Amino acid sequence: MIRSTYLVARRDYLGYVSAWGFWLGLLFTPIILAIFILAPTFAQNTQPTRYYTIIEQGSTFTDAMRAEMANTQARMARVILDPVAFSEGEESETLIAFDAALDGGASVADAFEAAGGNPATLPRADFVEVEPPVRTGAELAPYLLGETLIETADGPQPLFAALLVNEDTQEIEYWSENLQARALITAARQAEQDLQLDRALAAVNISRDVLTEARAARRDVKQQRVRTGEDANEGTEVTQADQAPFVVSIMMAFSLWFLIFSVINYLLMGTIEERSNKIFDSLLTSVKLPHLLAGKLIAVLLLALTLMAFWGLGSTLLTWFMRESIPEDVASFLGTMITAAANPALFIPAIISFVLGYLMYGSMFLALGSLCDTIQEAQTLMTPLFVTLMAPLAMLAFAVADAESALIEIMAWVPFFTPFLLILRMPTEPPLWEVLAQLGMMALTTYIILQLATRVYRAGAVHGAGVNEVMAFFGKLIPGKKSAA
Amino acid sequence: MGQEMPLEMPLKMTGVSKWFGNFQAVCDLDFDVPRGSIVGFLGPNGAGKSTSLRMALGVLSPDRGEVSLLGQRPNLESLKRVGFLPEERGLYKKMSARQIITYFARLKGMTSRDAKARADELLDMMGLGEFARSRVTKLSKGMAQKVQILSALAHRPEFLILDEPFSGLDPVNQQALEDLIVEEHKRGATIIFSTHVMEHAERLCEKIVMMARGRKVFEGTLDDAFTALGRAVHIGVSEGFDLGAAIAPAGFESVLDGDHWRISLKHAQNSQDALRAAIDAGAPITSFTPEEARLRDVFVSLVSDAEAQDLTDTLAADAAEGRDAA
Repeated sequence: MIRSTYLVARRDYLGYVSAWGFWLGLLFTPIILAIFILAPTFAQNTQPTRYYTIIEQGSTFTDAMRAEMANTQARMARVILDPVAFSEGEESETLIAFDAALDGGASVADAFEAAGGNPATLPRADFVEVEPPVRTGAELAPYLLGETLIETADGPQPLFAALLVNEDTQEIEYWSENLQARALITAARQAEQDLQLDRALAAVNISRDVLTEARAARRDVKQQRVRTGEDANEGTEVTQADQAPFVVSIMMAFSLWFLIFSVINYLLMGTIEERSNKIFDSLLTSVKLPHLLAGKLIAVLLLALTLMAFWGLGSTLLTWFMRESIPEDVASFLGTMITAAANPALFIPAIISFVLGYLMYGSMFLALGSLCDTIQEAQTLMTPLFVTLMAPLAMLAFAVADAESALIEIMAWVPFFTPFLLILRMPTEPPLWEVLAQLGMMALTTYIILQLATRVYRAGAVHGAGVNEVMAFFGKLIPGKKSAA
Repeated sequence: MGQEMPLEMPLKMTGVSKWFGNFQAVCDLDFDVPRGSIVGFLGPNGAGKSTSLRMALGVLSPDRGEVSLLGQRPNLESLKRVGFLPEERGLYKKMSARQIITYFARLKGMTSRDAKARADELLDMMGLGEFARSRVTKLSKGMAQKVQILSALAHRPEFLILDEPFSGLDPVNQQALEDLIVEEHKRGATIIFSTHVMEHAERLCEKIVMMARGRKVFEGTLDDAFTALGRAVHIGVSEGFDLGAAIAPAGFESVLDGDHWRISLKHAQNSQDALRAAIDAGAPITSFTPEEARLRDVFVSLVSDAEAQDLTDTLAADAAEGRDAA
């Protein structure tokens, strides 16, 4: 068995890795992921500056709007200066320096630089206010339609939007030909909210500073947990290390899903190729069917491991070369994550789930491929499989909000979802019997599916059964539906 | 199986039947392939040849009957000593000719080094040396077919099962394949091949098995086949002489066929006997031509008989069914 399985696995594996499509996927996947991550920043930086104007008899709303726009830019600067402290709502030396500079009257850009930020990394403002070219809404039309340009520091430009405070109705009107961009109108609403709050406070002789002071004086609600045993002396405050297993489990579940989703198509395509090339008879007189299937599954498993190794090594090398420029808190965060991932209570179930999940879904795709001469035929049957594969992805959203949610707890008992959801549950320390029972059910289901897949594969490879035969077979299983025969 | 198969029969099928749903593809098939022989497996399309050969290899399981391949039920061990060329040709398109031959030879148990050396040897022998490292997609259909045939015999099997090996080959390559089969036979291999082309069977086979509609209609040597067809001799006589009546007392049946008489030869009679009877009857003989039997005629005759019988059986079954329904 070992020899024939090895030979089949070797041939298939070398066939996959020698295809240019594999290397394209290997190299481009990280690039595409990076593009997804960097796209918002890139889009923000490449978006042309948009010009708006405010038409108001006085300057009350105009001042509120200017303050709101400055606050937005300051928020962005804080995120860039210290993302970890910002996301956790904590103060840091950098943020304190930035706020101090702002309080001292510096602009956002100057305060950013004063706090140690690189001015080149601070995105420029998306919206720039300009003097109103006209005084009434009726005269705005040619500017908003781009027929007449306005004078700006960058030369003549089209007017993107105008905020008009109607003195008769006291309503604020937002005029723009772009109906999709919501940022400016949202800022205007926030500015108006702040303005009205200030007015209400003034009416009862309370300064806005009172609110600011009240916010500053608020007590933090610190998350605590009970520690027992060896951890009893480490205090009760919840730390990054406590949160790390949850983050890692979500990353692991997603990686497992992504890997299975990435490589499973190779099994399908490989088998379709063999069927359409009519090579099964030659193979089946040289190697036993279970050994043939084992070889094929191992080949694609090795392919998945190659992807993991390549991407893992690439990430490690990248981190190593960039180690000097990684901020200390980010490095500490990464260290915590790696420590969490190395916990056997997490990675052992993860590895078992990966192997069983791969075998379960892999054998399904293998069987499916043996029934199809073309990818078009396969698509008929692929939809339910892909829907099944997409469901765990949706569960990740629930896990982010609450890993102990009843939905995840229940769905983890469905063997098709167990490979992904069990990993998500592991940080919640479920009872051992539950873990073992779910692993056992998953193993049993995988075994049954492997057996069924072998039979389907034999039907497809030996008897030339196709998609229609399978549909007819399942049709017979529906109560009340009689087969044509 | 119970008893050990004698080694002089690399393949023996006993009472083998196979159904696909309600369709019986093979019906009570019995035949054997003697060691060291070349057997032709003949029959029209849909006769059940490929199904029978797939059962012989264990790819399909018979619903009834027994198959003995190299003295045992078909299994991976016995299959390692067998080379098989399937009817449906197929190769891995992204592999080279050399890689494919090596791959299948290794699956049959050869070491990597031996398999590569054997692949080179066979490719050179078949004039494909310069294409050894070409992908299959770069080869012509004939070349690809040769590669598949070489894959079947790379591991020097003692028993070769070739399903329609000549199909799709041009005359030159058909001759090359005939030569290869002869070479393999000389090496000591036992060979069975299915074909529609009777001339190949006539030239190569010592024994033939004919099938029609899932049934064996003939098994024997070429001589047996010609005997089964019935031989004849054509004798021309001067106008007005009734040769039929003249030689009838000697036990010959004859009919006037244009300007000559066609005399059917029974099992114990030969053309010389017919000539002697005509001379003895005082016939004014003008010509004498023994009829040259061809395997094609045997094939057409036997298959037609089988199809006629099949039609009769079907009609009888339908009639019986009609009676039952009434």
